[in-house]
Amino acid sequence: MNYRALLRHETFLAVLLAIVLVVLAWQSDRFFTVANLLNQGRLMTEIGLIAIAMTFVIATGGIDLSVGSILGLVAILLGVFWQNVGLPLPLAIVAAIAAGTLAGLFNGLIITRFKVPPLIATLATLALYRGLAEGISQARSVRGYPEWFYVLGQGEVLGIPTQLWILLIGALIASIILAYTRWGRTVYAIGSNEVASRFSGLQVEKTKIALYMASGFAASVAAVIFVSRVSTTRSDMGTGIELDAITAVVLGGTSIFGGRGTVLGTFIGLCLIQALKNGLSLAGVKGDGTIMLIGAVLILAILISNVFERSGSR
Amino acid sequence: MSMKGMSKSFVGIKVLKDVDFDVRQGEVHALLGENGAGKSTLIKMLAGLYKPDTGTIVVDGEEQKFASTSDATSAGIATVYQELLLFPELTVAENVFLGNYPRKAGGWIDWATVRARTRDLLDQLDSHDLDVDTKVLNLSVAQRQRVEIAKALSKNARILIMDEPTASLVESDVQRLMEVVTQLRDRGVGIVYVSHRMPEIFALADRVTVLRDGTHVGTRDIGDVDEQQLVSMMVGRSIESLFPKADAEIGETVLEVRNLNHGRHVRDISFSLRRGEILGIAGLVGSGRTELALTLFGMTPATSGEIVLEGEPVHIASPRQARDLGIAYVPEDRGLQGLVKPMAIRKNVSMAIIEKLSSGIFIRADAEAKITRDAIERFGIRSRNIDQAVGELSGGNQQKVVIAKWLATNPKVLILDEPTRGVDVGAKAEIHSIMGELVKQGVAIIMISSELPEVLGMSDRVLVMNSGEVTDVIDRSKASPERVGAAMTAHRLEETA
Repeated sequence: MNYRALLRHETFLAVLLAIVLVVLAWQSDRFFTVANLLNQGRLMTEIGLIAIAMTFVIATGGIDLSVGSILGLVAILLGVFWQNVGLPLPLAIVAAIAAGTLAGLFNGLIITRFKVPPLIATLATLALYRGLAEGISQARSVRGYPEWFYVLGQGEVLGIPTQLWILLIGALIASIILAYTRWGRTVYAIGSNEVASRFSGLQVEKTKIALYMASGFAASVAAVIFVSRVSTTRSDMGTGIELDAITAVVLGGTSIFGGRGTVLGTFIGLCLIQALKNGLSLAGVKGDGTIMLIGAVLILAILISNVFERSGSR
Repeated sequence: MSMKGMSKSFVGIKVLKDVDFDVRQGEVHALLGENGAGKSTLIKMLAGLYKPDTGTIVVDGEEQKFASTSDATSAGIATVYQELLLFPELTVAENVFLGNYPRKAGGWIDWATVRARTRDLLDQLDSHDLDVDTKVLNLSVAQRQRVEIAKALSKNARILIMDEPTASLVESDVQRLMEVVTQLRDRGVGIVYVSHRMPEIFALADRVTVLRDGTHVGTRDIGDVDEQQLVSMMVGRSIESLFPKADAEIGETVLEVRNLNHGRHVRDISFSLRRGEILGIAGLVGSGRTELALTLFGMTPATSGEIVLEGEPVHIASPRQARDLGIAYVPEDRGLQGLVKPMAIRKNVSMAIIEKLSSGIFIRADAEAKITRDAIERFGIRSRNIDQAVGELSGGNQQKVVIAKWLATNPKVLILDEPTRGVDVGAKAEIHSIMGELVKQGVAIIMISSELPEVLGMSDRVLVMNSGEVTDVIDRSKASPERVGAAMTAHRLEETA
């Protein structure tokens, strides 16, 4: 039943996306142009990378609210390592990403060792990591990165924004892992029934720790791309990005209770949100109106998908 | 009360075909059948939960159409379900009169009357020990059940439906419940008694009706049938022996446990297990049987003591390690611990050997499909296909999936915790014959069961536990219900000897 239900949700989302694209293209002639679409791809990469990792986390029945703060912390550390510590930029990037991954490991350890519910654990580290970022940055921003660094966030490879390649390759690898490997199977099993997974000899704790690390890693990569895209480092970067990512994941059909979800669904959900944001602003809708509409689409998508599922499995 | 020509379909599948059933005043009418035979559907129609497609219900000569459970209640029919439907945070008295509170002038609830009448109802059930002001969450299952019965009586029920009331009770509570049922019958209440357990049926019932595949097989006076006949009516074939103990060659010692400890429930336990042997573990609920299994399986690792597997001392710290050492555990709670119900049969069967079925990190779908098909065939798992969700299967078939999952690991020691709880007679016999087949192949089995006939029928030796300690180890030839029963409440071996 799982496959058919999922397929249905994703097909439905894809149709919805197509409709949204057509409507938006009709509303504004600046929307459906190659340049604009590629630019939107550029803009959604950071949320996208986080949302892909978040798909795994939510599919185990967990959640990671701290990703926005990790992004901010990694951005600041990147600047500090490069400017204040004096590391060469490539090394600073690696060190900053390692620190962000460590932050994810810390989340995983709190959740598995001390049995703190993920919502609470990552809510706490959301505050903690953001506080660290602000404390380290002292409200200074870092600018003046070397020219080559901007290729990542502002350049193109084969006519396509550099970071969009990273997102696409990341999504492809992630979807293969989730669908075809024993790691992916373990993720679904934990999300559906953690106790039975443990009784079956699956490595529940290790898998969870690995996933929160992956989530921290994804947020860190997103941070580097973010800094490269906007040419500057500030401690408030990524504030609220966790909610955008979770929205994309849930819109993409991943069950917030775990056990169900695909990377493809998340990806379509992501495109849908980005298209709505961009298309509506081009069509002259104000920002708050856009947010309301995205909320409405989310509820609608979940409702319709639930109706489908009920008729499918009963 | 009588029901005539009851039929019911769900999404085009007829689950009940033209069934007649009746209950007289002051009689216990047992309703028997395998899982899926239509017992639940029938009683749910009587309770007003389901609407029959065809058929009529007549109570006291008047035809009734129940649109809801409250219609059934006002016609004098009450139900005590298997999963008790009480509110744990409310007191006994509050639960008994919930939704039905006597009022004082002005609409205020008359608590004094509520408490007094609850007291009175419980006294009628000989439950003088139950405090009406205790919260239900503090009560045992047996006590909760009596509260449910009191609740039914508070509504002046003249017909009481009891759905497997003894399924989760220990032996002493079963006795007490049977006394209550007899009392109610003597007061003229008609009782519909659904149960799998033959001894109860023979002790209590006046008549018995057997359903099979949604049809009415027969209604007999209890004096006219014996157990064999009832079983063959239920399964449609005769089962030669209920417990076909296969003779297997008993080989060398596989597992040796010495002075094992974990917490309060596993205390200083020693025993040994040989190839081809079935060691039954008997004991009351809470005697430490399951805890012992969990310790051997690495779920709650031993705090002290030795486990020697094939001559090698081993330390087992996780189920994964236990699995790699060749110890498998089919848990007590199938839905929670045994299966991932929303997942496909294929994914459940492969779960414990997923590394073996993978090349690198990739699962070999063909290998997985093959072992699943083999398992379905070998164990006779009735299913549509290998991608069907396990949750959609019947209890017996679910249990076979759990067993298949663990046998796929080729265990040397297989621990079965209540392997036939909640499965029907046919599946039970199949599970027993699988056990027989396994010991012939040299697997050593530890079987925990609350059903004494099963323990006595299947085991080569019986280990009896009480309060976390071994109180007796009895050879098959010397094992009698009396001796095992005595050991269940005895103190430890050294002290009794």
